[in-house]
Amino acid sequence: MKGALLILVAIAAVLVAMAVGAVPMPIASVLEGALHPGSAAGQIIWDLRLPRIVLAFLVGGALGVSGTALQALVRNPLAEPYLLGISGGAGLGAVAAIALGAGGLAGVPLAAFGGALASSLVVYSVASVQGARLEPRVLVLVGVIVAAFCGAITSALLTVSSEAALRNAFLWLLGGFGTASWPAVAVFSVYAALPLLALFAAARSLDLLSLGDESAHALGLATESTKRLVFVATALLTAASVAVSGMIGFVGLVAPHLLRGWLGPLHRRLLPAVFIGSGALLVTADAIARTVFRPSELPVGAITALIGVPLFAILLRRSLA
Amino acid sequence: MRLRSRAWDALLGLAVMAGCGRPAPAARTFALTDDAGVVTDFARPAGRVVSLVPAGTELLYALGGGPLLVGRTRWCDYPAEALAVPSVGDGLSPNVEAVIARRPDLVLLYRSATNAQAASRLRGLGVAVLEIAIDRQQDFERDARLLARAIGRPGAGDSLVAAVAAKLTAATATGTGGPSVLALAWTDPPIAIGGGSFLDEIIRRAGARNLFGDQPQPSFVVSIEAVVARKPDLILAVGDEEPAFVRRPEWRAVAAVRDRRFFRVAGSMFDRPSPRIADAVLALRSALDSVRTR
Repeated sequence: MKGALLILVAIAAVLVAMAVGAVPMPIASVLEGALHPGSAAGQIIWDLRLPRIVLAFLVGGALGVSGTALQALVRNPLAEPYLLGISGGAGLGAVAAIALGAGGLAGVPLAAFGGALASSLVVYSVASVQGARLEPRVLVLVGVIVAAFCGAITSALLTVSSEAALRNAFLWLLGGFGTASWPAVAVFSVYAALPLLALFAAARSLDLLSLGDESAHALGLATESTKRLVFVATALLTAASVAVSGMIGFVGLVAPHLLRGWLGPLHRRLLPAVFIGSGALLVTADAIARTVFRPSELPVGAITALIGVPLFAILLRRSLA
Repeated sequence: MRLRSRAWDALLGLAVMAGCGRPAPAARTFALTDDAGVVTDFARPAGRVVSLVPAGTELLYALGGGPLLVGRTRWCDYPAEALAVPSVGDGLSPNVEAVIARRPDLVLLYRSATNAQAASRLRGLGVAVLEIAIDRQQDFERDARLLARAIGRPGAGDSLVAAVAAKLTAATATGTGGPSVLALAWTDPPIAIGGGSFLDEIIRRAGARNLFGDQPQPSFVVSIEAVVARKPDLILAVGDEEPAFVRRPEWRAVAAVRDRRFFRVAGSMFDRPSPRIADAVLALRSALDSVRTR
């Protein structure tokens, strides 16, 4: 019942996103364009809006699932790829690949993956020095520090590199779907399918992991292998997202928080719901980004931050109380 | 050389009126107001100039002041003689130490919030600074006169302005109804050239219409959908490279891309207002002609 309601909300978000844009289109011509791909309306729908909406949905879903898995791993509702510096590591990896001339749809996601994995391992190992429990404040602080470090190296690379492709990389890093296309959807799907399925399959392990290492051990879960899975899968998902759409923050925070309160903490239900909810959220944020100042576009990361930062502040206060 | 504020000027004026002013200045001193509204006193014309603005470097040579140039940015690539002058790095947030090491008595700085700190530090070190904002052709005319006076050649400024204006008038296309042109500064994300830009002026003078000339910003991130809706006749890519975006699928919705109705111009004369503006207009006109007769 609740699942059906969520799917309806997502469908509504997608339909609204199909109808709005730099060219306002009544629903009738959206349908007309959907049926006739060759027409003028059809080209806007099939070449521009649909790949954009599909990509935003998939990236949103991937970031949401990453956030949920990280939250289970560190038992902390504030965990999120952007806040933990994983996106920053992916961005650094991507920029380094372009600066070294290894860009392209194959090189950038791989380099982003390397950067994402490295930064998540650094964050985790620095924050868990005390051993047992990851202190929420320490974790977020370390994430911010790693993100700042990656940002500093990225700016330095952008400044010294003569590579033309990097000239406006800071705009690309701000995040957006302005150049979404079907090949980008395909590349993203190739990178994201496996880690998404692996995390969905590990739903029960995530339930146990979120209880804490000791309880998970007592219940017979190989915690270390689950942890490794979460690290690699979230790094891959974040890297693929950064490679196709830049650094978009807070998506992994909003839907998991809202849906955990609504559906409960069991990951078997939570993960698919978060995928759909985060997808719908990012589709809506992107629709806002491309319509409010048309024909100009806002970076979609600005919209998600506008929603995510107040929520982050509330969650942080609650975790400290 | 030193600086004074407008308030100080007013105060001085009052003091002079009250009959207790400072002694009359020596005959050769003069004061110039730059594009930031800052007044600078000059005891004598500048003799060692560091130009941190590529358009300023080009202007200095056009005024016959090339031999005065002792420092430039790494972006100052025209005229070729300028490349023989040592580079001090970037023009935005310049390295003040590198600038001072060239022992200039005048620094040309692009007027920008990013440069405000460098301007005040240089002035604090006793170096005259002219903050110039050469963004459009009218700025070129104003700053040509300003720089000409700073190097003690006011006549050169007036004649350069007159010569460039005459050439430009001759080069400017007459009549309306030219093609609409989408000018792209970048493609990922897509950045279009808006109305507040130098290139917009070149496009208009070449007899075409800038597709986003109604947008006030010089450039902005544009949605491809808006490009589709405005149906450009031609697409202008600035730069030396083959525009790779024409092969990208998301641009297939733009008819001008599908039909390969694009053309390129390259060279620094399209980047900045300069004495070469008439050449830029003529080059664009011939590029437009060739693409229309293709």
